[in-house]
Amino acid sequence: MLSLESIVAGYGDAVALSDVSLTIAAGELVAVVGANGAGKTTLVNVIARLLPMRAGRLTWEGADLGRLPPQALGERGIALIPEGRRLFGAMSVEENLDMGCYRRSARALREEGLERVYGMFPILRERRGQMAGTLSGGQQQMVAIGRALMARPRLLLIDEPSLGLAPSVVQQVFEVIRTVNAQGVSMLLIEQNVALALQVADRGYVLENGRIVAQASASALLERPDIRAAYLGGV
Amino acid sequence: MPSATLLAQSVLSGVFSGALYALMGLGISLAWGLLRVINLAHFAFVFLAGYLVYQCIGVSGWSPTLVVLLALPLFFVAGVALQWLFARFSVDEFGSLLVTFGLTIMIESLIQWIWTADVRRMETPLSTWSVKLGPIYVPVAESILLLVTLAVVVAAWAWLRHTYVGKALRASAQNPVIAAAFGVSHRRLAFLLSGVAAATGALAGVFVAVGSPISPSQMFGSLGVVLAAVILGGLGNPLGLLAASILIGIAEALTMALTAPSWAPLVSFSLLIFILVLRPDRV
Repeated sequence: MLSLESIVAGYGDAVALSDVSLTIAAGELVAVVGANGAGKTTLVNVIARLLPMRAGRLTWEGADLGRLPPQALGERGIALIPEGRRLFGAMSVEENLDMGCYRRSARALREEGLERVYGMFPILRERRGQMAGTLSGGQQQMVAIGRALMARPRLLLIDEPSLGLAPSVVQQVFEVIRTVNAQGVSMLLIEQNVALALQVADRGYVLENGRIVAQASASALLERPDIRAAYLGGV
Repeated sequence: MPSATLLAQSVLSGVFSGALYALMGLGISLAWGLLRVINLAHFAFVFLAGYLVYQCIGVSGWSPTLVVLLALPLFFVAGVALQWLFARFSVDEFGSLLVTFGLTIMIESLIQWIWTADVRRMETPLSTWSVKLGPIYVPVAESILLLVTLAVVVAAWAWLRHTYVGKALRASAQNPVIAAAFGVSHRRLAFLLSGVAAATGALAGVFVAVGSPISPSQMFGSLGVVLAAVILGGLGNPLGLLAASILIGIAEALTMALTAPSWAPLVSFSLLIFILVLRPDRV
């Protein structure tokens, strides 16, 4: 289980997260929703250890993550699908997937992992030798998901997977998120598309100006009038 | 118009000088492309290795195999130490150019102090041995240089292309933060790459000492043409570097045969300026 207790983090003088507490149980899909600039990506970067936290406690499966370098998280079963894909653009699709299984214990499962990813996204098998930077946005998102799955995560951090994608591709991406979650992988899903995120999530947190302002089961959040008014166009 | 034999002999000697440019430039290309370090001191490493080879083999008469086996790990350690300095003081790309220029002057002075500024020549059976192929003379030392360069360049290419360490180096050069999230420790890989780069420089130094007389000031003579080949070949691209080096070597040799030797440097620098104007994104 992942647990954040009273996390404070920021950039320079600016505080991006204040007193954020959050838990994800084993196998759970938790969505964190909120407007642009609410601190959602900061939250992901703190958990991935890419941004140091100023206060608070971060634990995963009972162990303190707060002092580990980002390189150590893969070994502990945590993988990242970053905002904006962040692929290695001058490397081929398959080389990007290889970087997912870079850590030693994942390398033995490379062939099996490639079959799994190509099974989910057949277009990537056709494009395996193509430079990742020349793919369409949707295909790049598939590579970013595939790269993270190659690491065999038990917890997947997914930052804005729908950003800039055509609706049909968004459907496909969320289909895969649902499937992988059903296979027992815990997930933290960050989304601006609040309706979409709460439809697939078990529970949701609403982040506003760096604070958690609401948390409940996803279905309960979808019913709340204030959430509907603020994030779902008031209908 | 020179004879066909003379032209063929020129092209062959161009291939050989191109091979030496590639072997000298490999370490610079790798460090520049993958670590964003412009290491001018690589030339000083090449010549320092050359003088050590001259001293150990030419003067003291040690076994060449032993000297090469000692020089490679010694310069590997020097490369690691250099990268440690860059990391310790967070030297950026432009800073590395200035720092290593200073280091080059220091090593040049050290070489002058030990071996003086006079030209030194190492006599080995290889220096003058050549084989006649039809009308063309093929020098044996340069042929070995060509084979070694081919082997080292292909090995470097395969290392970057087909191993996890090589892919991690390329990934980290493109996006160190995301590479770190997938377990890549850029710091450790940078030490390894810098060490390997310096060791290839030592290997080039062996051929600099065997091939021709050496003097300390020569290290600046080869600087421009090697940098031209590194940029033309694409930073961090061993096969591109080899092709560019041989192209420049042949162009220089033909210029010497068809006009006068003093025109040769003009070719490489015209090429360099031409590339920088047409493809500024290569740097």
